[in-house]
Amino acid sequence: MKVLIGVIATNKSEQLFILDNGQPVLVQANGDNLEEKFGNYPILKQHPLKINDEPMKGPGVFRFRYGPVTAGVREAGCFHLYTYGEKILRATIDISWKQREIAKAMQDKSPETALMMAERVCSNFAISHSVAFGRAVEMALDAVPSLPTKNWRTLLIESERIYNHLYVIYKLASAAAQKVLAAHVSALFEEALRLNENLTGSRYLMGINNIGRLNRMPTVTDIQKIAHGYRELAKKFTELYKHSLKNYNYLDRLHSAGTLTPAQADKLGLTGPSLRACGVMDDLNDATEHLISLPVITQKEGDALARMEVRAEEIVNSCRYLVDHLRASDSWNEAGKNDTEFAKTGGTGYVVVNSPSGALGYYVEVKESKMQRVEIFTPSYPGMHAVSHALEGLIFTDFPFVFESFGVHFADAAS
Amino acid sequence: MKFLFIAAILLFVSGAVLSSKTRLSYLFSFLGSVSAFLTGCFALTQTQVLWSFPLLQHVELSLYIDHLSAIFIIIAAISWMALALYSIDYSKLYPKKRLPLGFNLSLLGMLLILTAHDGITLLMGWEIMTIFAFLMMQGTGKSFEHSYRFLAFGELSTISLLIGFAALYSTVGSLSFDALHNGSFFVLVLLSLGFIIKMDIVPFHGWMRGIYGEIPDNTAALLSAPVTLMGVYGLERIIPLLPNNQLWDIIIILLGAFSAFWGGLQAAAVDKIRLLPAYSTIENNGIILTAIGFYALAEGSGIQGLHYLATFAMAASIILVISHTFSKTLLFMSIGHAKEAYNVHTIDQARGVWSGVGRIPAIGIVISALSFSAFPPLIGYAGEWMILETLFQSYRFPSVALAFSSALAGILIALAIGLISFAMIKLIGYTALGYDHGRKSRPIPNRLMHIAEISLESLIVLGGIGLPLIIMFIGFPQLLTGLLAIPAPLVLASGIPAFGVISPTFIGIIMIVLLIIPVLLFMKNKKKVRKVESWNGGIKLEDAEFFTAPAYSQILEHILRGFYRTREKKSKTRSSISVEDILIWPSEAITRMVRKTGERLSWILMNGKISAYVAYILVLFITVFIIGMLVR
Amino acid sequence: MSQWWPLYGLKKKLTERKEYTSSVKLRLNTTGVFKRSLFVYIIDVGSSNALNFEISALEAPQYNIHRFGIFLTDSPRHADVLLILGHPVKKMIDPLRETILQLPKPFYTITIDDNPHQPDSVDYPELPNHIAALTGVPSPSQILGLLLDIAKTKRKES
Repeated sequence: MKVLIGVIATNKSEQLFILDNGQPVLVQANGDNLEEKFGNYPILKQHPLKINDEPMKGPGVFRFRYGPVTAGVREAGCFHLYTYGEKILRATIDISWKQREIAKAMQDKSPETALMMAERVCSNFAISHSVAFGRAVEMALDAVPSLPTKNWRTLLIESERIYNHLYVIYKLASAAAQKVLAAHVSALFEEALRLNENLTGSRYLMGINNIGRLNRMPTVTDIQKIAHGYRELAKKFTELYKHSLKNYNYLDRLHSAGTLTPAQADKLGLTGPSLRACGVMDDLNDATEHLISLPVITQKEGDALARMEVRAEEIVNSCRYLVDHLRASDSWNEAGKNDTEFAKTGGTGYVVVNSPSGALGYYVEVKESKMQRVEIFTPSYPGMHAVSHALEGLIFTDFPFVFESFGVHFADAAS
Repeated sequence: MKFLFIAAILLFVSGAVLSSKTRLSYLFSFLGSVSAFLTGCFALTQTQVLWSFPLLQHVELSLYIDHLSAIFIIIAAISWMALALYSIDYSKLYPKKRLPLGFNLSLLGMLLILTAHDGITLLMGWEIMTIFAFLMMQGTGKSFEHSYRFLAFGELSTISLLIGFAALYSTVGSLSFDALHNGSFFVLVLLSLGFIIKMDIVPFHGWMRGIYGEIPDNTAALLSAPVTLMGVYGLERIIPLLPNNQLWDIIIILLGAFSAFWGGLQAAAVDKIRLLPAYSTIENNGIILTAIGFYALAEGSGIQGLHYLATFAMAASIILVISHTFSKTLLFMSIGHAKEAYNVHTIDQARGVWSGVGRIPAIGIVISALSFSAFPPLIGYAGEWMILETLFQSYRFPSVALAFSSALAGILIALAIGLISFAMIKLIGYTALGYDHGRKSRPIPNRLMHIAEISLESLIVLGGIGLPLIIMFIGFPQLLTGLLAIPAPLVLASGIPAFGVISPTFIGIIMIVLLIIPVLLFMKNKKKVRKVESWNGGIKLEDAEFFTAPAYSQILEHILRGFYRTREKKSKTRSSISVEDILIWPSEAITRMVRKTGERLSWILMNGKISAYVAYILVLFITVFIIGMLVR
Repeated sequence: MSQWWPLYGLKKKLTERKEYTSSVKLRLNTTGVFKRSLFVYIIDVGSSNALNFEISALEAPQYNIHRFGIFLTDSPRHADVLLILGHPVKKMIDPLRETILQLPKPFYTITIDDNPHQPDSVDYPELPNHIAALTGVPSPSQILGLLLDIAKTKRKES
């Protein structure tokens, strides 16, 4: 299947950054029926910072503003919800409050410095951004990272997936006032962050990846303990999750909240677990060269419950992947061979990574070992469009379920 | 006293004659009302025949004033005085001649009704009141059809009364009120129906929706408060007839309670705020109807133990009448004041009266709205609590049917009070105390408006706190007692043996004491106060982001969508909610049918052909001829 | 019976330590006013989200902040401490000022700057009662230690 990740404007024409059957491809835009081929082309071309900004009028209709400083959605972002009382008629999301223009600031910086900046676009997707940027630069400079680097990167991406999915389930449980469930899931979330720290020295897996290499390799003695930690995490989570599904009150609140059809998801360019929850079997997993391929989890309904179920299964699968390959890591974990020589000093690179919330794409142009141009295509941007569409017609009490279930972040959307 | 009465009539007539000078005309109506008020005051202690004129054998026109008349004249006259004062200032903005003419003569008609002692005088006053009220509506209305509908309902009530009195004459041989207690069931039904229609009880309220948004404020106030008061007075007059017919009593109890519930329900979901007080009138009159019906039921059951309860119900009805008249007049005056000051067409656009227009009209809206919501210690609280306590003692009835229907009425009225509070909060929160959106008000003559508003506000508050005085004034001192630490006669006991007590006096005293102490404490430890903008997520609230009044009631409209037939109209850029009052369908259907039939008939008959016209004349001539021959 | 939520996990003991210390130097003197409870309002003025996740981690049972009387509030009007996360973005300066105006006295402000070298950035505005300025992404233990320092509470018993 073909997914349009981004539109790159050059001074002569446009290039389309497409994910074709799991492989990133750059195609020249030839101008005819782009909107028919790719439903999300207009969104990506215009890239509005005020999403779905069409005002709604009528007697008694007013615009309820939630943000930019809120206690529920802590990030700096604004929701303009048009309503005549109980129902949300239209949700306009203003993501410009967190715009830091990091991609622009990366210009003329060295790749290593720019990589550190990439990690700070959205630090809970730090390793995804870092790996995507690193691989893009490696592609531009024709560098081939060593096998341990490649394998460790896949393991770290799965680590990131685990704690992000746990966070989404924690938020959904809190929104449904399932305090016991939320407390236990948040304990697991904290466990996952500590395992990250044991693995890399940073709770958010920051500062470990670099261009063509890793800054340091995890030591062998800790690996067994960390693998054991992930196994325990999977076991506790499975037990907790099975128990939570028996609670009809919880399921009822998530069921049919913010349903998206595959056609709508395609029009918005949604990727990741939210797309898979609509029943679409995507090939995002092929974007990363896993040691063994992970199963693609799908659900059918496309509502908040389906999105949670997809994430729950992915947590267990990722834990299993980590346990198996952490244990086996000493077979491919050789010391040394860390310095990779870069064959070129300039070039173009583009990579898509399977971040916890969907496809994360980087397009880089390097010139004389300095970043010339960087374009970041984050999964939260189409995710925010999906949130806006899913909120239409819902009542206010369903708002936290829909927003949290997509797992999108303002820092990621605004970049 | 006769002198005062005649002075009142003369003043009203002069006011009508001088209607071209609107301010002077309203001044005369004010003086006439004062004169009527004084008449009523003097008549409290003595009954007097004011005038009598024998018309035919067994038919005598007479004007009579007794204790009941006096009470109602006093209540009505206070409302008339306030409205007249308000109209003096209001007339500067609307110098149409028809208004003061209609106003004066309508008041005259009402005075006639209140002093009539036989059917014909009553009907004369009834018609004068209705027709001149209709004339007032013609002054500024845009569409004739809506005001004709009011006239139609008014005439329906007149017809009912006419037939009722005719039936009384045919069975008893006299039209005087003294002979009323001999009337039959038929007489009872027709007469009470005539009065009930005037009280705007559901389903006879269909005329309101079309007209209420457009008529001038003093007309709206007049139609709501004093005119419906006449209906209540009529019912109180035929009270001797009521206790003998249990079925009819149960019917009117349930009809009144349902009307109250329906009025509250619709008031909570109105789109034009001017309709809110109109539906509140329906609600209050429904409660009054239930009170009167319950009195009749209790009195007619013949059980000794229920006599106290019956008296209590009667007292409740009169207190409700007082509270409704004063509060409704005040509400309409304050809303009208705000509307004129802001110079807007609808009250929805007049928000933030406290900051935009002035304190006094805002306090007027708040106090009258609180009185309708049964907020202690106002007089509305007293009336509504009295009727609730009465109905909840329905277990005293030995018969299951009576007990059940009274309890059902109690449930419906309790619901009605809840719904009307919901509606009144809209008025308090948005219109009176809400944000004024930067609107500026223009200077209008308001000194007399303020006097009228302040006097009614004080009456509502003092009437509540001084409830024992009012109870004694209307002649029910046996209801007052003392309880525990509260000395007699500050407590109103609702049942013997004891069931419940009402004491707004005591509540008022406690509230004042509890207010004074914290105020003194606050003055002692004066803390520094810092004013900040309200917290709205970090940035200032824009105009389009303010919570709207329709949004407040949308939740109720959604939950009760079965009652309202709530419909949503949605397009890509526009969305709205519409609700309906399904009980006006019958009158709407009848109107449509009448119009269609009339059009049809006129199309057939008046089709422009001479031959058809000649044929029509011939047919009519022959028919009259034949009938004349047959009669002979 | 362990299938019933109120009893679920009752035997597990997740809360860890009884004491938390902090190496952050406080810039102002503390009062004893907040000894029994400290209410914190979080505002994100442009962080990279790691700090938001750390605050969520702070609410986990391992730290159990409620036993110290530390609560996160929903409104700045109920707050004793304003915790400012992230390096400020220009657009968020005005909302930050407005939030500070809403805080009732006495209050403190804490800043956690996760990206001091953010390019094209602005500085924090004048912050009243600015008691601590951290940089980087501190762990929840460090944040908790700092809050306990401010509250002048070091609970010995749990």
